[in-house]
Amino acid sequence: VKAMRDDLHVLTGSYVLDAVSDAEREEFERHLYHCPTCEAEVRGLRETAARLALACAMTAPARMEQQVLAATYRTRQLPPLPARRSRRERRRVQAGRALPRRLAVLAAAASVAAAVALGITELTAEHQLDQARATAIARVVTAPDARVETARTSAGGSVTVVASAALREAVVSTSGMASLPSSRVYQVWVMSPSGARSAGLMHGGSLLAAVRPGDRIGITVEPAGGTARPTTTPVAVLPV
Amino acid sequence: MSRPEIRQLQPEPAPPPDLAALLGQVARGDHQAFELVYAELSGPVYGVVRQVLRDPAQSEEVAQEVLLEIWRTASRYDPDRGSAAAWALTIAHRRAVDRVRAENACSRREQKAAEPEPAEDDVAETVAATLEHQRVRRCMDGLTGLQRESIKLAYYGGYSYPQVAKLLGVALGTVKTRIRDGLIRMRDCMEVTW
Repeated sequence: VKAMRDDLHVLTGSYVLDAVSDAEREEFERHLYHCPTCEAEVRGLRETAARLALACAMTAPARMEQQVLAATYRTRQLPPLPARRSRRERRRVQAGRALPRRLAVLAAAASVAAAVALGITELTAEHQLDQARATAIARVVTAPDARVETARTSAGGSVTVVASAALREAVVSTSGMASLPSSRVYQVWVMSPSGARSAGLMHGGSLLAAVRPGDRIGITVEPAGGTARPTTTPVAVLPV
Repeated sequence: MSRPEIRQLQPEPAPPPDLAALLGQVARGDHQAFELVYAELSGPVYGVVRQVLRDPAQSEEVAQEVLLEIWRTASRYDPDRGSAAAWALTIAHRRAVDRVRAENACSRREQKAAEPEPAEDDVAETVAATLEHQRVRRCMDGLTGLQRESIKLAYYGGYSYPQVAKLLGVALGTVKTRIRDGLIRMRDCMEVTW
């Protein structure tokens, strides 16, 4: 465990430079929850990275200003999150005691219809989505251009995809699919004309995938740990 | 007239606006406050996005998305967790990198990754000689070659650390360590306090 933590700690730099994969980012953010030293270091390094950005400031094209300002009049703002909890309280959240509050956060962030469609409340209870992920998911499901697709799967149950073309992100969630032996997993793919790219393993929860218009989402049954390319016929394929 | 008197007549430089306070107003739907935020952040946002994406049209599109995202999520900025500029520029860099990765998935940039353009002085080329730029430059000079290249490829190039490792022909662990050590050195050199 010690070795793994050291290894994760070294990731602070790559994390603030966005040089990690989505999976590593999630793992690292979970780690940050328990590691005050890492969190403090991340703060300092984030400010440092911001200096790197400030150092390459350029005058933006003049037309941008009017376009952005005009867009603000058409764009609804996100409500604030509840006050941040102290570390001890957060740990309690981890232990699952403050769940109703987290559900309230999610319900406020996501529209009720979308939350129900996604079964997010259930997901949160089961999988303790961390705040960052919940926010990312809420961002997609509340996007003005969010589109919802649901399909039954050949493994029973259904899969729902909420996608935002503007954000180029989709939230994939499943419910009621047949449980698999421990040697098999459901793997989610983003399928485009150039091939299929793994969006991660579905552990009965939901996951975020980077998508582009015209992509499709597919789910296959694969050996535990997942594969680089789909090796079986998808149990479901949905448009984005 | 003696010089000191002339100096007194010069206007004081306007103090930089308090971005954190402005974001609070933006979160309450204040469009005028947002104009000030825009004036302050559009340059760095566009600059960093452009640095990563290179293509002006694409950079403009992404920078617009980022600035609108700042409007949309202003209520999520927490002053206890860092400066407003760092919050905004984190969104900007992340969006730019997301765009690079999305393109990668469509295998367009993969070929480019095999033969990277020389990254040396892109920064200097595009940038006015701002104070911040000089400071970053000076502190960059204090890094080892490997630290400097790793940080530049990761941040300005938008490469993942495994890609950086491949480009520089060093082990994964080495790159992770060099990026962290280099950033820590930069932080101390620039006297970043957070």
